[in-house]
Amino acid sequence: MGLLDAFDPREASPTTDGILTNRGRFGVLALIAALAVLGPIAASVRPFWLYLLVQILAFALLALSLDFVFGYAGLLSFGHAAMFGAGGYAVALLVTHVTPNALVVLPAAVLTGVVVAAFIGWFSVRARGIYFAMLTLAFAQIFYVAAFADLPASLLGVETVTGGDNGLVGLAALEAFGVVDLSSRLNYYFLTLALVALSLLAIVRIANSPFGRVLQGVRENEDRMAFIGYDVERYKVIGFAISGGFAGLAGGLYVPFQSLAQPQLLHWTLSGELVVMLLLGGLGTLWGPMLGAGVVILLEEQLSGFTAWEVILGAVFVVVVVFAPQGLAGVLVSLRDDPKDTLGKVRDALANYREKVLK
Amino acid sequence: MLAEFSSVLRATMLGIQLGMTLALVAAGLTLIFGMLDVINFAHGSLYMIGGYLGVTIASQFGSFWLALLIAPLAVGVVAAAIEVFGLRALYGRNPLYHILLTFGIAIMVQGLVVEIWGGQSLRIEAPEMLSGTVSIGPVQYPVYWLFVLAISTVLIAAVWLMIDRSDLGILMRASAHDTEMVDALGIDVSKVFTGVFVFGAILAGIAGVLLGASRSVSPGMGFGVIIEAFVIVVIGGLGSFKGAVYGALLVGLVTAYGALIAPSVTDIFLFAMMAVVLMVRPNGLFGATEAA
Repeated sequence: MGLLDAFDPREASPTTDGILTNRGRFGVLALIAALAVLGPIAASVRPFWLYLLVQILAFALLALSLDFVFGYAGLLSFGHAAMFGAGGYAVALLVTHVTPNALVVLPAAVLTGVVVAAFIGWFSVRARGIYFAMLTLAFAQIFYVAAFADLPASLLGVETVTGGDNGLVGLAALEAFGVVDLSSRLNYYFLTLALVALSLLAIVRIANSPFGRVLQGVRENEDRMAFIGYDVERYKVIGFAISGGFAGLAGGLYVPFQSLAQPQLLHWTLSGELVVMLLLGGLGTLWGPMLGAGVVILLEEQLSGFTAWEVILGAVFVVVVVFAPQGLAGVLVSLRDDPKDTLGKVRDALANYREKVLK
Repeated sequence: MLAEFSSVLRATMLGIQLGMTLALVAAGLTLIFGMLDVINFAHGSLYMIGGYLGVTIASQFGSFWLALLIAPLAVGVVAAAIEVFGLRALYGRNPLYHILLTFGIAIMVQGLVVEIWGGQSLRIEAPEMLSGTVSIGPVQYPVYWLFVLAISTVLIAAVWLMIDRSDLGILMRASAHDTEMVDALGIDVSKVFTGVFVFGAILAGIAGVLLGASRSVSPGMGFGVIIEAFVIVVIGGLGSFKGAVYGALLVGLVTAYGALIAPSVTDIFLFAMMAVVLMVRPNGLFGATEAA
């Protein structure tokens, strides 16, 4: 299998339309309802859980945005941290200098994500496969270094814009015309949940619109789509920009809750972690990556008490990739379809491993 | 004027030295990619293990030379384990999963390193005979850096000759080109794969020890160098050894000159150069016409 095939995730997306079946819709609705109930419970039992839940939702949205371009259009972006961080910084700057009104700053985060993604995409789509991935990574790292070294400040001749290494700290809480108090963590959680749910709805809609089908066609066979007469590069740039908007929103939701925007949001390791979330969750399923994001964040949180927690986290990735190639989504689908057979599959995977390693 | 000239000369020499040493890391990365189709995120970790083992051996036995000999071999053993118990199970599957596997291994190694050696940065003691400086024109240049340049250049030249001229090199290139055919001709390709992976790791381990005595050894160095190495390999064209060497020299020089012009944003020059190269030549300088 050549590397171009690697960016052709057909085999990795066994349940692409799963989320559109009645059962899929019911599952998503049930999960959203469960999360809505979980919020107040978490707030009263252990407020820290709310903090985790918001973090999980923000990263789930980010993972969803990447799955849209990667799973649907076959564009492996290794620079999604750029849009996430840009959205976050946009919110932080607006809150500091202009207004903490959520109805202003969150659309601004989306817009920033779209603009940054369109810029990166426009320069990158000519390259394919891993070269595309490396171009997106390069642009994202440029944003990272610019924020870290506070390049905007030196260019504008002011003292500080991005806050450099420390970032922008102590941001005021968002509000909405004084009607909704978003400094309440629970209210902020509901806002995040609602926006993530709406984003999921929007992305599923777009993915299954004629536009989304063209993107899928590009993934399946780019040359053929071009021969038919589609302007493939334009579709890719637009798809990338749409994804960037959602990534920007994720950053815009994440930063005010942390009350902190720092260069680390733009760093490539965040993009890398995101790709890991996708592969761990199940590429191209839309819900799998969101699940993957939740699992990775929970794992990091739970394991951070241990001394060598990175060793355990890494080991989980290794075990999943060797024994559950379709990710967690694959495991869950297999459990649902045929619970008994899942044990058999585990046995097959072990036998297969033994044969391949010891041959 | 003279001061300026000497700082440019110094930066040039530093850039070439850094480039040749990074070429050791990038060469392994590009060979592993070209032959195994594996994007090895753990390659930086192998380099880091080389550096840390170098620290331990050099301080335990008081010999830099022993460290330079033993540490890379130990890295080779680690690499063999990774290839046999990890990657081998994934060949024939979507190569994307190599990213997840090697990323997971890289995280594990980083955690282990902090566990064993702690989070602070360490340094390998360079040998007595390589201390001090020599004057080259107006520049006072450390002897150790010249030594690093020499040994890296010799190694890169040797690898180049081996790939280009020897039977082993032909076998390696043939396995990369058409695995099934080589297999059908009665050669155990899986051994070739293990060999290439281990060989690339040993080169990275050597670079880890060499740079461990001039830069430093810290838990972040694995993830730091992997990006430099990716930039090099992508500029040169994935899978191309020649490309990796030229790419490494470019990256070394840009890093050194960048530090002269604007130290805080050196990386921007690096990534901008990569972006420009890829926009002009979407498959890198020496890459195949298709990105495969």
